[in-house]
Amino acid sequence: MGEAKPLEKSDFVFLFKGSPLNDFLYPFKKAANQWVARYIIIIFAIIIRCAVGLGSYSGQNTSPMFGDFEAQRHWLEITTSLPINEWYFYDLQYWGLDYPPLTAFHSWFLGTIGNLIDSTWFQLDTSRGIENIDMKSFMRLTALFSELAFYTPAVIIYTRWMGRNYNKAPSIDQTIIAAAILFLPDLIIIDHGHFQYNSIMLGLALLALINLLYDNIALASIFFTLSIGFKQMALYYAPIFFFYLLSLCVFPRLNLLKLIYIAISVLCTLGFLFGPFIYSGGFLQINQILYRIFPFGRGIFEDKVANFWCATNVVIKYKNIFTTSQLQKLSLLFTLIGISPSCYFIFITQNKRLLAWCLSACSMSFFLFSFQVHEKSILLPWLPITLLLNEVDADVISMVCWFCNVSLFSMSPLLKRDGLSLQYIVLGIMSNWLMGNLSWVRKYTNIILPFVSKRKYATPILPHSFFWRIIIVTFYITASILLYCDFMVKPPLNLPDIWIVGNVIASFLSFGLIFLWLNYKIYTVSQVKLKTQ
Amino acid sequence: MGIKGNYSLWNIWVASTLLKILLFPTYHSTDFDVHRNWLSITSLLPMKDWYLENTNQWTLDYPPFFAYFEWFISRFIPNSVANDGCLDLVTKGNYGIKTIYFQRSTVIITEILLFLSLQWFINTSTTIREKKRNFVISASIVLSPGLFIIDHIHFQYNGFLFGILILSIVNAKLGNHLACGFWFAVLLCFKHIFLYIAPAYFIYLLSAYCMNPLPKNLNSFKNIINIINWLNLIKLGLTVLSVFFIAFAPFAYYGVLPQLFNRLFPFSRGLTHAYWAPNIWSLYSFVDRLLIQISKKLPILYKIFNKSPENLSNLNDSLTRGIVGDVKFSFLPQIQPNHTFLLTLFYQIMSLIPLFIQPKFERFIGSISLCAFSSFLFGWHVHEKAIMLIIIPLTFVICQDRRLLPPFQLLTSAGYVSLFPLLYGSAEWMFKSLITFVWFIVFQTSFSEVVHFQRKLTTRVIVLDRLNLIYMLLFAPICIIIQMLDIESRNFQILKKLEFFRLMTYSVYCAIGIISSWSSISWLYFLDDPIWTEKNDDEELRSKKTTNTTIMMLDNDEKIKTK
Repeated sequence: MGEAKPLEKSDFVFLFKGSPLNDFLYPFKKAANQWVARYIIIIFAIIIRCAVGLGSYSGQNTSPMFGDFEAQRHWLEITTSLPINEWYFYDLQYWGLDYPPLTAFHSWFLGTIGNLIDSTWFQLDTSRGIENIDMKSFMRLTALFSELAFYTPAVIIYTRWMGRNYNKAPSIDQTIIAAAILFLPDLIIIDHGHFQYNSIMLGLALLALINLLYDNIALASIFFTLSIGFKQMALYYAPIFFFYLLSLCVFPRLNLLKLIYIAISVLCTLGFLFGPFIYSGGFLQINQILYRIFPFGRGIFEDKVANFWCATNVVIKYKNIFTTSQLQKLSLLFTLIGISPSCYFIFITQNKRLLAWCLSACSMSFFLFSFQVHEKSILLPWLPITLLLNEVDADVISMVCWFCNVSLFSMSPLLKRDGLSLQYIVLGIMSNWLMGNLSWVRKYTNIILPFVSKRKYATPILPHSFFWRIIIVTFYITASILLYCDFMVKPPLNLPDIWIVGNVIASFLSFGLIFLWLNYKIYTVSQVKLKTQ
Repeated sequence: MGIKGNYSLWNIWVASTLLKILLFPTYHSTDFDVHRNWLSITSLLPMKDWYLENTNQWTLDYPPFFAYFEWFISRFIPNSVANDGCLDLVTKGNYGIKTIYFQRSTVIITEILLFLSLQWFINTSTTIREKKRNFVISASIVLSPGLFIIDHIHFQYNGFLFGILILSIVNAKLGNHLACGFWFAVLLCFKHIFLYIAPAYFIYLLSAYCMNPLPKNLNSFKNIINIINWLNLIKLGLTVLSVFFIAFAPFAYYGVLPQLFNRLFPFSRGLTHAYWAPNIWSLYSFVDRLLIQISKKLPILYKIFNKSPENLSNLNDSLTRGIVGDVKFSFLPQIQPNHTFLLTLFYQIMSLIPLFIQPKFERFIGSISLCAFSSFLFGWHVHEKAIMLIIIPLTFVICQDRRLLPPFQLLTSAGYVSLFPLLYGSAEWMFKSLITFVWFIVFQTSFSEVVHFQRKLTTRVIVLDRLNLIYMLLFAPICIIIQMLDIESRNFQILKKLEFFRLMTYSVYCAIGIISSWSSISWLYFLDDPIWTEKNDDEELRSKKTTNTTIMMLDNDEKIKTK
């Protein structure tokens, strides 16, 4: 990787040139049409999400427990039917509420609207396992609007800030970058196919990040607390937010006032989140909520996930060697080691450009080493890494694309189980094609299809470094073989999980390398002074 | 759309195909089972039984080429799909996801013909401006929400049929009249709904290809004979007849032609479909129903129309149910098939006269659209899907003049919204509304960028434009309110009764738009010659030409007078 240089306007090389995304949006480059372009990408993003939503969801037709979709629907049911002090206590065996209070409030809000439409959808107990197309459409719409409320505008604001203050990209290119992010498949397929509301947690965290960029530290801490209050997994980002805010209060000299601002805003938000529970049932409620959202009683990993513990479990059987509490301490130690470089650099440099990098490295470390991770947690490192598309650097972009493909690949067993293989393949191809990663195909198609555009220049799918080229090509070949085997070849009887284990190992190795690369880049970028404002 | 110098539909094809694949698991109508049944009929039975077989209620009722086409597709069915129930000859299809994937992908694959023919259309353009314009036209056709709704969700094979239509239109544009006639004959043997526009083809080919320019005087018998270009007439006749021969000969050989034609033209159906297509008859039925409601308050109506309430009560709900069978009106006179036929014929002939005199390409396209318009507006048992037959040909001339844009906007907005009731489920609601909305925004702005400008805009036009805008904006609340009522009808019994009312709202409101669009296009067609006669790449050139022609015409007039 070459030395990172500060970007000047003259250095600016437009990187999605030649990609279909650029072809589609370029006609809107006139200043008067800019806003049209932004609305058009949002509408197409909604259309894609609607189309994915027409497919199946997790646990469709799998009585008696169903899946994540039923869990979300069940929460709408219990929050609208029960008084607030029973929310975290009611029939915990059947998808008891195990996300923080903001999820509960959100469920209550959606359930109230749903009840206006049809009261049978969310009737206590009798509605369990209900499956009908109208209810499904309603739930799909709620996921769609939740995403539109937080995540989508946040992405657009972020790219605009980066365009204005850092990479100096022209307006139409900011829109193209935003479109590239909005069409990435991971979040689409988890939120609108599998069904969850991750976009709210990610959107709130991104809003917090944006407020840090704008120096609104109080708002940033409110948004970030809300993000954790929606899903505890946002804690993966917490060390970076903590150290960045702390360094603002400490450097260049101790600023107690700022510290108090932050403390007050966090406490007020927490009060808003937990207040209703304390009011209705005292502090017993808090214990129960914390007990529910941090289930340390479970194993070190769930199912098969591409992290350190699951991948090395093939060789070392941790459960036979250590007790659960020993494993907890071990994983904590590994995670702390993993996050320390990113925390150190953000604390020392206070560099806004480093924020996305450090968030990526930090959450990646959590994903790889922490306790009780499941495959959907990859969305947490996924968010900040996709933001790195704003680094207008061909090598970074090709690494980000590689990461996105690895993360999608690592979720393939989950999506296959949900009956979303079709959507998985289509979205994977679509996003890569839009960003120009498949442009190399043109070389061959031009012979057969003379209609296809003959332009040669397109975003390279591979970085310049020879080392990464070999690794990425190896990964793509391995991944295609594994995918092919998974769909076509029956595994041998004594090793029924062989393709999934192969998937886990391939993805883990890639994630590990990406983690190391992120830390290396943090080091190189931190050596460069950011020239903004 | 498209970067400078890139006028390839490839990107659009890839993007739309990916989107269409995502639509695989969604709702499909009974038309899916219809086509599946045809697959099984053509693959399992000998050819002579194709038009006799009636196990399933969805009997084969398309012309022979479509049957050959289904037979051809059935050659490619993999075993796993055949075992899935795709080829069962049963009263009601029982099939799984594999059959759906297979049939849906055949729609996508055959639709490539549409893309190829439009790409050819783009490549035939001579100047950059024209290329840009043709690219916008082509993109608007391939991305049409109508094709998404009808072909890829509802399920039909219109994509490649319109591909054939466009092949014939492009041939007409290039002056290959023989190929134009050939492709249209092929198209007619695929789907006989294209008979709606056959008169325009007939007159155009007759006038442009089979007739010599008028001789100066018609006083000798030889001159009269020479009006017709006999060689061309024979060539064209042989081409068309041989296409029909290939299509129908096998069935004539087996002696099943009467049954075949009986299947193709079933006259036992009612005036309107269950959901009224937005045409004159929907307004007519609406007025009739309105009179029924008013008469309950104002009994004087019975006297005016010379009816008695007892007779009417029997007929009251006939319109709500009339899926197939006679439709009886309560107050207004009954409509017979020959009424609709005469009306259609009248308006078609009106549009054909100018074409006969001036067989120009633009005129031809205009008359195709007007023929389709009159069949759609006045025809017997018209389907709402036939609106595509108007929109797609009309798109080809829309860039001729700015004044054509407002009626086109009316037509597309009303036409595409009138397709919404085809997909009544809540799952597709968001998708169909957004895809129509975004198509409308993108292409109306693109069209107004590439269209020819007309300098003089009268106040009349400006007022009408405002009215258009209000009409189109009202679609948003109507679509939303109707869907809300649909959702709420599960809670309130009274709303359930109004189900028909919701369909009627769509149909009547869209009918108003389509009829006004028809009248303003007719106005321009009959009263504004330059739009339809000239290729106008250059504004000044055009004005010069018009002055020249007027001078020439004046000269002629004077000559006639002196004679």
